[in-house]
This record gives sequence, structure tokens and C-alpha cells, in this order.
Amino acid sequence: MADAIHVALAVVVLAPLVASVAAGSRLLLGDTWPAERGVATLLLLGLVSSLAASFFIAAAHGGVWQPAVRGEVDFGSWIAIGTYEIPAVFFIDNVAVVFSLLGAVLTALVARFSETYLHKDPGFFRFYVLLGLFAAGTQLLAFAGALDLFFAGWEAIGIASTLFIGFFHERAEPVRSAVRAFVTYRMCDVGFLIAIVLAHELLGSTRLSDLGRADELPGIAVTLLGLLLLLAAFGKSAQLPFSGWLVRAMEGPTPSSALFYGGVSIHAGLYLLLRTSPVLDAAPLAAAFGAAVGLATAAYASAVVRTQADAKGGLAQATLAQTGLILAEICLGLTTLALVHLVSHALLRVWQYLRAPNMLHDAHHHAHHAGHAVEPPVQAGARASRRLYLGQLHRFRLDDRLDAAVAPVIGLARFLQRLDERYLARTLGRDAQATGDEHDGPPA
Amino acid sequence: MGHRQADGSEDPLAAALAAASRILPDQGPLGVFIHHNTLHAFQHLPFHAAVQRGAELLGARPYLELDAYRAAYAVGRIEAVDVAHALSQLPDDDTATPVALGLSLRAFRELLMLHDPVAVDAAGLAFNRRRGPPDARDDARHRACRDAVARCPSPSDGRPRVLPRHRDVLLALGGGDTDLSVMRELVRLAAAFLDQGQMLAPMPGRDGGFLAAVAALYADGTSAPRGAPGVDRDFTRVHTQRQDARAVIAERLALLGVAQAEHEAYLVASAVALAGWAGMFARLEAHPEESHGVPVSLADYMAVRLILEHRAIAHEAAVLEVPLELPALRAAAPVVNAHAVDDDAERLTALARAAGLDAAAVDALDTAAISAVWQQCAAFPALARRAVWLEAYEGWYRRQILDAMVARRAAGLIEPPDRPAAQFLFCIDEREESMRRAIEEQGLQFETLGGAGFFGVAIDYQGLYDTAPSAHCPVVVTPEHEIYEAPLPTEHARDRLRRRLRDGWNSVHRGAHCGSRTLAGGAGLSLLLGPLAAIAAIVRVVMPRASLSLHARLRDVLFPRPRTRLSALRTATADTRTERGKLPGFSLDEAADRVAAVLRSTGLAGHLAPIVILLGHGSTSLNNPHESAHDCGACGGRRGGANARLFADIANRPDVREAVRARGVEIPADTWFIGGLHDTADDGVHYYDLEALPTTLYGAFEVADQVLQTARQLSAQERCRRFHHAALGLSPASALRHVEARAAHFGQPRPEYGHCTNAIAVVGRRQLTRGLHLDRRPFLISYDPSLDPDGGIIERVLAAVGPVGAGINLEYYFSAVDNERYGCGTKLPHNVTGLIGIMNGHLSDLRTGLPLQMVELHEPMRLLLIVEATPARLLEVAGRQAEVRELVVNEWVQLVSVDPASGAMQVFERGRFVPYVPGRSFFPRVAYSQAWHGTSREHLTPALIEAPVDMPPSAVRAARAAHG
Repeated sequence: MADAIHVALAVVVLAPLVASVAAGSRLLLGDTWPAERGVATLLLLGLVSSLAASFFIAAAHGGVWQPAVRGEVDFGSWIAIGTYEIPAVFFIDNVAVVFSLLGAVLTALVARFSETYLHKDPGFFRFYVLLGLFAAGTQLLAFAGALDLFFAGWEAIGIASTLFIGFFHERAEPVRSAVRAFVTYRMCDVGFLIAIVLAHELLGSTRLSDLGRADELPGIAVTLLGLLLLLAAFGKSAQLPFSGWLVRAMEGPTPSSALFYGGVSIHAGLYLLLRTSPVLDAAPLAAAFGAAVGLATAAYASAVVRTQADAKGGLAQATLAQTGLILAEICLGLTTLALVHLVSHALLRVWQYLRAPNMLHDAHHHAHHAGHAVEPPVQAGARASRRLYLGQLHRFRLDDRLDAAVAPVIGLARFLQRLDERYLARTLGRDAQATGDEHDGPPA
Repeated sequence: MGHRQADGSEDPLAAALAAASRILPDQGPLGVFIHHNTLHAFQHLPFHAAVQRGAELLGARPYLELDAYRAAYAVGRIEAVDVAHALSQLPDDDTATPVALGLSLRAFRELLMLHDPVAVDAAGLAFNRRRGPPDARDDARHRACRDAVARCPSPSDGRPRVLPRHRDVLLALGGGDTDLSVMRELVRLAAAFLDQGQMLAPMPGRDGGFLAAVAALYADGTSAPRGAPGVDRDFTRVHTQRQDARAVIAERLALLGVAQAEHEAYLVASAVALAGWAGMFARLEAHPEESHGVPVSLADYMAVRLILEHRAIAHEAAVLEVPLELPALRAAAPVVNAHAVDDDAERLTALARAAGLDAAAVDALDTAAISAVWQQCAAFPALARRAVWLEAYEGWYRRQILDAMVARRAAGLIEPPDRPAAQFLFCIDEREESMRRAIEEQGLQFETLGGAGFFGVAIDYQGLYDTAPSAHCPVVVTPEHEIYEAPLPTEHARDRLRRRLRDGWNSVHRGAHCGSRTLAGGAGLSLLLGPLAAIAAIVRVVMPRASLSLHARLRDVLFPRPRTRLSALRTATADTRTERGKLPGFSLDEAADRVAAVLRSTGLAGHLAPIVILLGHGSTSLNNPHESAHDCGACGGRRGGANARLFADIANRPDVREAVRARGVEIPADTWFIGGLHDTADDGVHYYDLEALPTTLYGAFEVADQVLQTARQLSAQERCRRFHHAALGLSPASALRHVEARAAHFGQPRPEYGHCTNAIAVVGRRQLTRGLHLDRRPFLISYDPSLDPDGGIIERVLAAVGPVGAGINLEYYFSAVDNERYGCGTKLPHNVTGLIGIMNGHLSDLRTGLPLQMVELHEPMRLLLIVEATPARLLEVAGRQAEVRELVVNEWVQLVSVDPASGAMQVFERGRFVPYVPGRSFFPRVAYSQAWHGTSREHLTPALIEAPVDMPPSAVRAARAAHG
């Protein structure tokens, strides 16, 4: 049984990755475009294998075969330098199994949906390669037994998310939005990285099973650890003040928006907190802060959603409101409720996203056959404060405020660049231009 | 249109707004999509002048890229004779005198079209040279050409490009894009203002108009966006001083330092920066009935836009430390000198190579000779060449079609029998051509005809569960009559039940939709519906067809649909009007007029079959904001089922038939009309009012129905050859299942290809084209010249069909030649906004035109309008019908006359009819359509189809099965 679990864990993560790498290599090395169907089938095969393995692990975990598989499954060390070790360890429990199944089912569903949706798009192959990367990242995230391994999955999801936002890179706006999401992710990943180092330092391990010892740490240390993990989660799950990127992420094809911002990626930050909940349990101050931010995000998003005139933006804000609520539930220790809420929410939203382009059809068929628009359910009244309304309409200028906050940093960078150009380039300029000629042809 | 006349006085601002309003896209809310000429505002100009002017103003491409035409030439889609013919049409064409490199004007132009390098930048040139063939002689020639260019460089055109707006200058100076700052703020405001039911909280104060509503919002104390500081104060001032839009526009233009003479150009350019949104304001201002009571005006929009734009520019100008006024700012713009010697040398090399000049010959060229080359290149610029390419591209196709029609005549026209077994009257739509061919191939006794799909009954129609009537007729017509659908008296209980359940289900649906977006509702509904949603998603994605049909069957069992009738006729005495001021149903005379007119103009009069089936059409698809673009254009972007049903209803009444006879058209007593609806997405056919069919005709109907059932399978099979997810050689039954699955699939951006194969319109007897495989490309309009001695019918037909056909054709043309600018790009990131349109992603211009997935197969050509009438008759019609004249004389369509007696053809070229000389005489002959199209996914040239023998449909099916 133990061996079978090792195999299943390997398959659940590696099958989509192998399919993705195989398809990617074919694209990079081949002279011609492969057939759409071949690539889609390859990836579907990888995703369905992963799904089957996920079901198998769930069954093993549920005790279909005795004894039930629970807890850590070791694959040895990933990296070991002296006494410092990053273990390749997986951790199987209810939460992991549920999240793995959620990710596997939704990814396979979207892969199937996209076979026709992405047909003939120049990015068809890129889409599937990224989908494989994302699926591997999700499964790694689901079963990772140590924070380092978790971070690897975390990054795979982040990169896939960024590239999906910038999917139509021949247009400027998707690229701008992708960069915005990427920068937000990176800023918040700093929290995650420091948390990992801190855990190594304080607990001597980043194993999830060792996080239970967090309550033995001094209060200040565990609070710091909690806050750092929260920072990481805020970025990935678009909590305040990092919410701006989410609505701008609606640039990719509909199915990727569904999978990432209705389904899995937007909940990844919350999943991190579910995995590390002993830390939050031991750090009531951090937990209280997290709950406050979660509720604030929920309030913010449910105010803004009222004035979103576009289908996908409305869904993004509605999703955000629920993630804020789930964050608060986690921080208040209601982890079971949070998990149920997370899963059912993801399932609902994915379907709503997938059929978002059906908005006009629905409006006509479910209210009026003739094609007259529906009266809005909430009438504007004297009660609606104009000020609040405009606030909602431009999302309380969250992006502007964030930009203003980082403006000094950018200003400093510009200043240094000018210094560079003025003094350094004077001596190096000729050389730089010469090499430029070599590579890029004559200067414009 | 959005013309605004300033009360008597010449108001430049009003004129400028009117100019902008004309140029902006004229597309209404997306719920009803009506095809129209994208450049309708330029239709008074000759085609080439218009598309080039429009493209310049809108920043678009007027033709396909040069590469596309050259690729078509390389594969034989354009032949040398077509290029030569197109060049011969140029007014100064000359084949005798050498003008440059020893070539005549014609030959030199041909050289330029085929061999002049595509203009690229310096880096591209260097890359091309490295990649080029390592030909030593070529290098010598290239060196010689470089020397030649050094001797005599091409004169630069010397005109510095004027940057029209501040934004362009600021960008050229390396500043930020002020349009981006404007867009971020403006689009949210505009979307909120125009929203027709997608927001949970509508914008307050919309009754006062856009400017007042926006000003009031800011006046309550909201911060300005970072990219346009100061707009809050400006809007507050607008609010407190109650400034009107015109005053604001004038003030901002003054602040921006735009000279009086440039006002119009600046306003137009500024409006075009977000053409879709500005266009929606202009459209709703001109069509208030589409705006749901919100007072919309372009002036308001431009006022808000200019305030934002002014502040964004002021901010950016301050950052860059440049002046704000336009003339001063332009003076600060960097001068760009794009003229490159490399470019000239590359061009000369290519031309010399093509003209067969080696290095020595190039060295021998003197300054005058080289300068002649530059002069000829400049005299025949890139756009003029692409115009000629388009003509050649069209010319090749025109030859194929006209030659095929000649070949058909030579092989013998297929005349219908005196009394066919069944007749099928379709809409003129080119998507019905495959269906018609499939019917005709089942036997000579089956005749098909085409007429505008509203079947002569222009009505406001309200279906049983519609909340309001909507016009079912071409957009140029305003219906006089209102028709509604009512349950039979015996069906009231069923109707009440269905209505109640429907209302309940709709409010649940709507409630879940809105509720899931709120905080508590979202949480509750997630827990409640999440798992159900997952099941729904999996089932609908994995088996779309089965799940949809199960859904429909369940609905019909649980909430059975009541049987209904139409309120076709009004009683002779009641001449009252409905509350909308329309007549409730037709009087006997009105009904008889319409029936007689349709029977005459389609040529049905005089040889009516026992069964006449009229099929309107519509299209159902999911996840498709452009669903309505597939509906019937002749029904104003709606479904034509009600019109077909109504026509059959009145034409079957004995009293109407009596009145029709008085008008000289005899309807035999044993003729019965049946209305129906053809769904062009899933190829389903639904009949109306079959219970009224006389029992004596049951047998005849069964035969006709079998023919139609077979035809829709064959038509589905023919459509499937275009769909890569359907294997070639699919059986007719599987093909039907395939198209049904497409229409039922949420992940299918191409439920059908719509009008994307349209290219031709044939107005005449079906005999001209029956037995020709025309690959779903012609609009087919039945018209019998022998029934039209005085030309009244052809005038009405052309007045209706010309603009509708050209509108569809030109919309496809423009969306295909520049899908990003005239079309709306790929569907994949589309985001339905305000129930009025779509944006790309989270925030963009409102995208108008057709999506890439609808036009990807389209060959952009002007409609080839072939009419069975003499040139004299056509000129008469053009003389009386201004819009037809405009389309023909300005060459927005290509007109061909077919002589009704002799079949001789004349093509309208450069203002006169020129006899057509047939070229190719051999065309493949096949037994059935499928034998011609069965193995290819590409566009097909015509083929002749052997005349079918009379045999029962079942035998045809068997024969076909053996064949396929």
C-alpha cells in the first residue's frame, strides 16, 4: 500500500507536468505546429491521470484499504546541506485530499471546455502547456508536506496565472495587467520566503507536521510568522490592499479566468493559511489582523460589485467578497466551515465564469423574449449616497493609492537611472552602443 | 443618423459633433445585431476613396495586407489576367510608351504590385537581406543599386506628419499615454451610465444626462484619478454653475489651445480614440428607443471626455515640462526623419531583378532613368496598388461565377415542372443555399425559391411570453401592424400554469444571479448551489447535446407549451389602434395585397404546388454575445418564424384567397401553405399550425417533410466540412448530431459560420443557378422577369435587397480586412458589459463589428450582384432608387446584368455596362453536391450538378447512402 501511495503521489503531480513538458518540447523543437488534437489529448491524458491518482489517494485516505493512509509520506530529501534539509515530503489529510480533488476536477473540466473554445487560436498550445504547469503546481500545493515544497507549487501557479493574464500579449492592456499581478505576487512572496527562513530558524523545520510546535515559540516570533504568511496569502488571494490586480486579471480567455480567479488560484492563499493554521492558532494578534483584513475585503468587494457593469468584473468582485469571508473564517479558527465554503464557492464560481459570455442570452430568455433589458433589481434611490456610489465605481481608487504608495520607490529608481545615464554612460556609452549594434542592428 | 442641425444658424461645434457622429460606429446594443455598411457615412463617395478616407480617420486598414493578396496570387486565387484586367481599368492605363526601366506604365505597375518589397523598418530590411538567397550576382546588383541610389536618391515627400492631438505629441516626446488615464476613468463612468441592467445599483441622476450625472457625483466630494488631477474641481464647477455640454466643450478646446479651424478634426480624433463608446452615445442619441429612457447625447460624452482629457494632458505636460497649448506643443515635438537609403536600395534591387536588369544594366542607368523609377513609384502608392489587388481578387472570383452560369446555360437550364410536388420558400440568405440544393437534388418535382425572410409581412410581433412587441421586418421599414400570439381558448389553463412556472423560474434564476454576487447571498448560495453547479458544469461540458435535449424535454413535460394562434386579421369594422398606435392585425385587403405581392415577386404565382413550405430562419447558440448576428437580417436581426407563420395563416384563408384572385393571382384550392422556422445553428426545422392541414394533403406533406428532413441532414453535412472538429466524410445523420452539439455547447465560439461565405447575390429565376454548386455563397432572390413587364417588381426587390445584401457583405468585408479596428477581435476574452456590448478583458473600448471567429473564413470582396434584367431596366431602377444608385455607381457592389431572353451578361464597370466575354468553359460535373464538396475544407469553385431524376425521397436516400 505504501508503495502505491508513493506512485500515486508521483503521478498526481508529475503526470500533468510530464505532459506539459512533452508538449512544450515538441513545440520548441519541432519545425511544424503539432496537431491541436494531439496536444489537447496529451494534456487531457496527463490531467485525467492526475485526477485518477487524486481519487486513489482520496480512497486510500478514506480507508477503503486498511490501514488508511494519513499523515506524512516521505520521498527523502530534496536538498540537504549539512544539517540543513529541505525535505521532499508530502502530507495527506482531509484538507489536502479535498483541495487536490477540487483542483484536479476543475482543471480537467477546463481542459475539456477549452478544446473547442481555444480552437484555432494562435495560443492554443501555449494554453495547454501552461494548464499542465498549473495542474502540477496545484497538486504540489495540495499535498506538499513542507513549506519549501509548497512554495514550489505556489510559484508554478503564480507564473501560470501571470502568463494567462498576459495571454493576448499582442495587446498592451493584458500585458500591463499581467505585470501588475506579477509584481503584486512577488511583493507578497517576500512574506512567504521570509516565513520559510524564519521557520527553519525557529523550528528547525518547515514540515507542516512541525508547525504544530508553533505554540512553543515566543509570542512575538509566532506573530511575525503569522503575519508573514498572511502577507503571502493576501497577495495570492487579492485581499486588501492588494485587491486591484484581480479585476484587471480578466484579460485572458474565459476558461482560464474561470479556473484561476473563480476556482483554484484565487483560493490558493487561503489554502496556505489552512495548511499553516497552527501558526495562526498560536498567534491571536495575527489572526485578528487577518480576520479584520478579510472582513474589510469582503465589505470592500461587496460594495464595489454593485457598480460593476461588466460580467467578468462583477464575478471577480463577487469572488473577492467570498474569499474575504473565508479568510475571516480561517482566522477565527472555523477551518472546517472555511474548507466547505471554499470548495463550494469555487465550484459555483467556475461555472458562473464559464458561462459569463451567456449574459445576453440569459437576460433575453429568462426575463424577456423580445430582447428588452431587465429592470435592475435594486432601484437607485435617494438613499444611494452619490459619494459612496462614485467610490464604488472607481473601486475606491485602490490602484491609485497603491501606486502612490510605491511612487517614492519608483522615483528613487528613476533618479538612480538618471545618475547612471548622466555619469556612468558618459564613460561606457560608446561601448554599450557598439554592442547594441552587434545584436540589434542599426540604432533607430 | 445622428445629424444635428443647429437651429438655423451655422454652429461649428454642432457641425463638428455631427461629423463625429457620422464617422463613429453605428452599432446599437448587442441584443439585436443588424448588419450594416461599417463605413455607411462614406457611402456617398466612390468605394476606394471612401475606404481610404475612412481608414485614415479611424486608423484602420482599408484592404487586406499586401502579403495576403500576393499569397492569393501565388496559389492561383488571383491570376495574371486578373491583375492585367484590374490595371486596365485605371484611367491613365497605357501599354505602349516606356516610363521607367524600359517598361510601359502597365508593366511597371504590375512589377510594383508583384515585386516591390513590403515596406519594413531598417532592422527588418537587414534581417530580410541576411535571410535572402545567397546569390552572388544579386550582391553585385545590390551594390550597383546602392550606387545608383547614391547617384540619385528618391525624393522624400517632404511633408512632415502633423500630429493631430496632444496625446500623439506627448507620446512622441516619450511621455505617458494620456488616453489610458482617460479610458480608465471614462469607461467606468460611461458603462455605468449606459448600463441596461447588469449593474446591481444603477447610476443615480441618469435622467439629467451623462455630463450632469457625472458632475453631480464628483460634486459630492470624490477624489480625482491619479492620472488626471483636478477633474474633481472641474466637475464640481460644472455642477454648481450648471454648465451645459457645449459650453464645456468650447471651454476645454480653448484651454487645450485647439485653433477654431481644427475643432472638428480634433473632436473627431478625440471621439475616435474610444470609437465604440462614443459611437454608442451617438447611436443611442439618434435612436432613443434603444436607450431605455436614459437621455443620451454625444455632446455630453465629449464634454466629460474633454474635461478628463484636458486634465490628463495638463498633468503629463507638467511632468514633461512642455507647453499645453497645441501649437506650442507641436513645435516641441521631435522631428522624425524616416527616410532611409537602405529602403531605396532594397526597392531598386527588387525592381531591377524583376525587370531583368543585371548589375551592369543598373550601372548604366542615368539619373533621369532612376528618377523616373522614383516618380512612378510615388505615382502608384501602396494603397492604390492594394486597391488594384482587390479588384483582381474580385475579378478572379467573378470570372468563376459568371463562367459557371454560362456553362450551366450551355448544359441546359433546369426548368421546374408545371406543377411541382412541393415548393419551399426560403429567405434569400446564402446559408440556405446548401439546403435548397439538397432539396432540389432529391427530384425535379421539388422547387425552391428565395425571398426576403419577412415574407412581405412587416409587423411588430409579440410572442406569447414576450413583454413587448418588436419589429420583424427590414430596419428601413416601420411596421404599421401589430401581431400577437395568443393561446387557444382551450389552452388557457396550460398557459396560466406555464406562465406562472416560467415567471417563478425566471425570478429564481435572476435572484440567484444577483444574490450570488452579494456577500451573504454569495455565501449561502455557494453552500447551497456549489455542488449542483459542479454537476451542471460537468454534464453540460462533457455531453452538451444530450444534456440540452434532456433539459428541453423535461421542460416541455413539466411545463407543456400551450397551443397558440396569431392575431392575423382584424375585423373589418374595428379600425382602432393599439396603445402603440399600430393597427391590430391586417384587414382583408391588406392581407390580400401582401400575399399577392409575395407570390408575384417570387414568381410563385401561376404554378403553385399542393404544399408550399415557407421557412423563416434564426439561430440559437450559447455563450455567444453575437448570437443575434446570426438571426435574419430581413427581420431586423430577429427570427423569421413568426412572419412565415403569419403569411401561411393569411394565405390559407378562403376569403383572403378570394381577394387575391381579384388581384389576378390564382391560388388553387388544393394548395396549402405551411410556415416554419429553420435554425441555422443546429439545422432544426419547426413547423407551425400543422393541425390546420387538410387531411387530403397529409400524403403530399409527408413527402415534402421527408425531403426537408433529408435536406437538413445533407446541409449539416455540407456545413461540417468547414468545422475541423467534424471529420470529413461524416454521414449526414452524424453531421446533424455534430451541429446540434455545437449549438448546445458553452465552449463553442463558432456555433455556425454565419454569413462568412457571402459573396454573390443572384436576382432572377432559380433556373439560372439550379444545378450549380455555389458553395453557400450566393444570396438567392427569386424574381421572374416575365411576370414584371413594367419593372415595378425589380425596383422594389433591388431597393430592398441591394442595401440589405450590401450591408451584410460590407460589414463582413470591413471586419475581415481589419478585425482589430473594424471588427471586435477574438471572442475569447470578450466581456459582456451593461447588456449593451462587449469589451476586451476588464476595461477597453466597446468593441463593435464582427469577431474573428465569424470572419476567419471570409474572402473580403464586394457583393457580386447578378440581376436577370436588361441594362436599360437596371439603369431605370438606379435612376429612381437613390440608395441603389449610390451602391452601384460608387462601386460598393459589382453589378452584372443577365439578359432575360438571351442570357448575355454585361458587367457594370467605370460607369457603364461592358459585355462579359466568357472564358473558362469546362466545369466539373458531379452527380450530387456531396461528391464535389465531400473531400475539401476550402472554398470551392462552382461545379455542375447533373439533373436529378424523379424518384421518391427514400430512394434518393438509399442511392445517396450507396454513393457516400
